[in-house]
Amino acid sequence: MSEAVIRSMKDLPSTHLLGTGTAMCAGCGGLQAVHEIYDVLGGRTVFVNAAGCMTLLATYPFTPFRGGWLYTSMASAAAGAQGIRDALDVLMAKGRLPIEEDLTAVVLAGDGSSYGMGLSATSAAIERGLDFLYVCYDNEGYGNTGQQASGATPLGARTATTPRGQRLRKKDLFDIWVAHRPAYAATVIGAEPLDLAKKIERARSIRGPRLILALAPCPTGWEFEPEHAVEIGRLAVQTGLFPLKEYVDGKVVHTRIPRPRVPVVDYLAAQGRFRHLFEPVRDDALIGEIQAEVDAYWRAVG
Amino acid sequence: MYRIRFHGRGGQGIKTAAQALGTAFFLEGFEVQDAPRYGAERRGAPIFAYVRAARAPIQERGVIARPDAVLVADETLVPVPAAGVLQGLAERTVLVVASSETGETWRERLALPGPVLALAPDEAGGPLAGMACAGAAARLVGVIGRERLEAAVREEIGKLGAAVLERNLAAALAAYDALAPHAGLVAEGAPVAAAGYRPPEWIELPRDTAHFAAPDIDAPATSVAAKTGAWRTLRPVIDYARCNRCSWVCGTLCPDSAIAVDADRTPRIDYDHCKGCMVCLAVCPPHAIAAEPERARAEAAE
Amino acid sequence: MSRRLLTGNGAAAWGARLAEVDYVPAFPITPQTEIVETLARWCDAGEMAARLTMLESEHSMVTAAGAAAAAGARVFTATSSQGLQYAMEMIFTVAGWRVPFVMVNVSRALASPITLEPDHTDVLSARDAGFLQIHCATCQEVMDGVLIAYRVAEDARVRLPAIVNEDGFYLSFTREPVELPDPGAVRRFLPAFDPGSAAFRASHPASRAVAVLGGAPYSYFRYEAHLAARAALAVYDEAATAFAAAFGRSWPAVERYRSDDAEVVFFMIGAFATKAKDAVDRLREAGERVGLVRPRLLRPWPDAALREALAGKRAVAVIDQNLSMGMGGVLAAELASALHGHAGMPMIVPFVGALGGRDIAAEEFFEIARAARAAAAAGVAPGPRLLYTADELREVRKLQAIAHAERPGAGGTR
Repeated sequence: MSEAVIRSMKDLPSTHLLGTGTAMCAGCGGLQAVHEIYDVLGGRTVFVNAAGCMTLLATYPFTPFRGGWLYTSMASAAAGAQGIRDALDVLMAKGRLPIEEDLTAVVLAGDGSSYGMGLSATSAAIERGLDFLYVCYDNEGYGNTGQQASGATPLGARTATTPRGQRLRKKDLFDIWVAHRPAYAATVIGAEPLDLAKKIERARSIRGPRLILALAPCPTGWEFEPEHAVEIGRLAVQTGLFPLKEYVDGKVVHTRIPRPRVPVVDYLAAQGRFRHLFEPVRDDALIGEIQAEVDAYWRAVG
Repeated sequence: MYRIRFHGRGGQGIKTAAQALGTAFFLEGFEVQDAPRYGAERRGAPIFAYVRAARAPIQERGVIARPDAVLVADETLVPVPAAGVLQGLAERTVLVVASSETGETWRERLALPGPVLALAPDEAGGPLAGMACAGAAARLVGVIGRERLEAAVREEIGKLGAAVLERNLAAALAAYDALAPHAGLVAEGAPVAAAGYRPPEWIELPRDTAHFAAPDIDAPATSVAAKTGAWRTLRPVIDYARCNRCSWVCGTLCPDSAIAVDADRTPRIDYDHCKGCMVCLAVCPPHAIAAEPERARAEAAE
Repeated sequence: MSRRLLTGNGAAAWGARLAEVDYVPAFPITPQTEIVETLARWCDAGEMAARLTMLESEHSMVTAAGAAAAAGARVFTATSSQGLQYAMEMIFTVAGWRVPFVMVNVSRALASPITLEPDHTDVLSARDAGFLQIHCATCQEVMDGVLIAYRVAEDARVRLPAIVNEDGFYLSFTREPVELPDPGAVRRFLPAFDPGSAAFRASHPASRAVAVLGGAPYSYFRYEAHLAARAALAVYDEAATAFAAAFGRSWPAVERYRSDDAEVVFFMIGAFATKAKDAVDRLREAGERVGLVRPRLLRPWPDAALREALAGKRAVAVIDQNLSMGMGGVLAAELASALHGHAGMPMIVPFVGALGGRDIAAEEFFEIARAARAAAAAGVAPGPRLLYTADELREVRKLQAIAHAERPGAGGTR
C-alpha cells in the first residue's frame, strides 16, 4: 500500500499489488483501473463482488487478491459489504477483534449490476450511511455474457441485443449516487492514472458511502484492438463524453476540463460498436445528436 | 462415428471451424453434433470445439475423450497442459498442427505414436487458422466432397460479407487441397465396448474440514501460478537504449500488472503473464517497445 | 429458570437473545415481523449486545447474514414465505460459503394467490439448499430449537446455516408457557462462536466463495456440503442429548408418540402434529393402535431413524401441509425415499391438507387413520387425498358467483 501522497506521475506505484495471471481479456480497461485502484488501496481490504466479468478474477484455486474477496450475487454485493462492515464493527466494539485486524469493505461490480439489478441494494446501503467503497467498472453492457445492452449502454452503441444501435440514453449513475448525498463520488478511468490515484487517495481518507465509477474500455465488447485501450479511454475524456469529476463536500467538481474538446466522431469511429454510424451510410443525425448532448453537458457545467 | 476436436484461441474461429465441418458432414447426409467449449470466455484464451458425425443418430454427448483427429490452429497451445490438446491421443489419432514446422518434427518433439501433419504456414496462428483446420479435417475423413465443404463454409460465413467469406473459403479449400495425399487417413472410431471394460475407480469422498472443503483460497495472489503468457501471439520487447526511464507509463497502464519498474526506473516485462495486449507499445512516449511474433521467436530459439 | 407465556415469535426472539448473537440483519414480513421488532427493542434498550441492521430486502438480508458470519460474527435473522422465496438465490449461495448462522422461518403459504396464512410449501422449497432444517411443534421447541441449531450449525464438523421453522399464526402469534433457561446454563451449552481461520481479518488473506471451472471441483465442493449436512445427524443427536442433560427437555431428531406398538401412524411436521397427538389419544381410547412419528429434523433427513420408527407398521398416513404441483405432497415423496428398498416398511398413504391456513378437524384425523388402515388391508396405495369437504367447495362456489356475476348496467366490456 502506498502511504505517500500522490502528487505527480512519479509518485504512482511502480510495483503492483494485484496478482498477475487473471482471466480478464487482453487489454481490459476495467482490469487496468482495478489494478491501479488496488495499488493505492492495498490489501487491507475485502472485495465484495457482484456477478460480472470480474467474478472470474478469482477462479479456484487462483486469486489475484492479497486481502479478502467474497463473491455474493449480481444483486446484493452492497449488502455483503454491509454484513462484513457490521460484523467487524460489532466484534471490535465487543473487544473480540483487535482494530489492527480491521478491513475496508469494497464492492466490485460491473455496470450490469450497478445500473440495474444491484441498484436497490446499493441505494439502501448509501441511505444507511454504510462505510464502504463502491467500485463500478463500467464497460457499458453485460460484457461477461457477450455484451448485451445494459442501463449503461450509450446512445447509438450496437450490442448483441441492440443490433441496430441503442436507442435509449445511458443512465447517469454518478448523479443517482449524488442524489443520495454520499460521502464521496468520483468518475475515473485507467487511462488517466494520476487523476485516478488522487481520487482513490481522497476516497480512502473519507468514511461513509463512496463511489468510484470507472469507465472500462472493453476491446471485446466495444470492438477495438486491445492495444488501443488507453487511446480510447483518453478519447472518452478528451471528447467530453466521459467527464472526470468528483463530488465532495456537497459539490461536484470537474477534475479535467477538456479544452478544446475533440469531436465525438473521433471516439465513435475508433470502435466497431459504432461502425454502423459510418457505414454503409453515415448517420450524421445521430452523430450530431451525440455531439449535441456532450456540448449541452459542458455548456451547463460552464 | 467420427470424433474430431479443434483447439485454438478465442478469435481464431474455432467454434466456426467446428460448425463448418459439422455442416459439411450434415450436407453429406451424416447425423452431426457440434459444440464449442469455453473456459473463461476471453479473447486470446485457449478454447476448443468438437464435431461428431455418424450415419446413425448420435447418442454420445459431451467432450470428446477419444478423438479420431485433433486439429490445432495455434501451435503455441500444444505444450500448454491446461489447453488439453494432447488429451486422449491414441496411436490411431491424427494430429494436425498449423505450423511452419513439419509433422515429423512435432511427432518427435511430442513423442507421439500416431501420425502428425502440419498445415501450411500461411494459415498458422492467424484468424483464418480455424477455417484451415476445418478444411483439413474435411479432407482427412475422406467422405466430404470439395463442393460440400464450400457450401458449408458459405452457410456459416456468408452472413459476414463477401470479403470475409472469400478469405475463409480460400483458407478452407487450400487446406483441403493440400491434404489430398492424406484423404481418408482419419477413420471412424469404435464405441466403448461393454464387454471387458475397465471399471471406474469410484471412491467414498472423505468429509474434509469446512474451510478446506469450501471454495476458499487462503494464500495471497495465487493467480501468479496461472501463466497467462501463453495467451500471447505478439511479444512486447523493450529497447532499453530508447527507453527514457519515465518510471510509470507502461508499468501503470499495463492492465495486467505485468510490468514492474525497478528502483533504477527500468521497466521489466513479466512474460509469464503478459497477454500480449500491446497497450505498452501503444502508450510508450519514446516508442521504445516493439512487437515480435511469438512464433518467429520460437523458431529462432530452435 | 422461569416459565412465562410467549408467542412462537417471542420464543424465537428469546432464542436469539439467549444465544447472545452479535448481529441481526432484518426485514419485516407477516407473520415474522414481531421477531425483529422484539430484537430491535432489546438492542435499542441495551438488553442485547447485538447490532440490528434493517436491509431493504430478504435477498440483501441473507447476503448480509452470510457475509457477517463469514467475518466471524454470530448471526440471527428471520423471514417467512415470499421473503424466503425472494432470498432463495442467496439461501443456496450462502450455504455454499459454509458459514453457520440461524434463520427462523415463520411458515406462510405462497402466492399465488397471496395470503397471510400458513402452510409449509415455503420452507420445503428450501430443502435442497444446504441449510439444516429444524421443524417445531410448540413455542418451547422454537426457543430450544434456536439454541440447538446454533450448536449444530457452528460445530466444526458441520459449518452450515440452519433454518428453525415455526408455523405462522398457529405458533407465531399463539402464546404458550415457555421455560426460559438460565443464561449461564445456555452459555455453557453454547459457547461463543469461534470461526477459526475462516473469518475475514487483515492478518489473514482469504478469497472466499470463488468461482470454479469444471465439474470435478464443483462436485467436490457441493458434495462436501452434503457430507457436512449428513454429519449433522450425529451432531444433532449429541446436541439434543446435551440439551436434555442441561435443561431437562428432550428433542430427538424424530419424535415418536405412542408409536411403538402402533399399526397405523400419522406422519407430519409442524404445529398441527400436536393435533395429531390428540387424535392418537382419542383413537387409543377407541381401541385403535395408532401413533405419531414426527421428524423434527428435516435436513439432514433422518432416514435411518425414520426406518427404525416405522418398521413393522401396517400403514403410515403422511399429512402434507404443502403441495408440489403435479406430484402431490413433498413429505410423502421424501419418506418413500427413506423406506423404499427396505424390508418390513409400511405402506405410505398420502394426504394433502391444511393449505393456506385450513384447519384439520379431529374427525379428519380419525378418517385418515381409517383410510390408511383400509389401504393397507387392500394392499393398494391410493394417490394423495386432498382434505377438502363438500361444504368448503359450496362456500367457494358462492364466492365465485359474486366474482363472476353478470351485472347488467354496471358497465364492463361484455
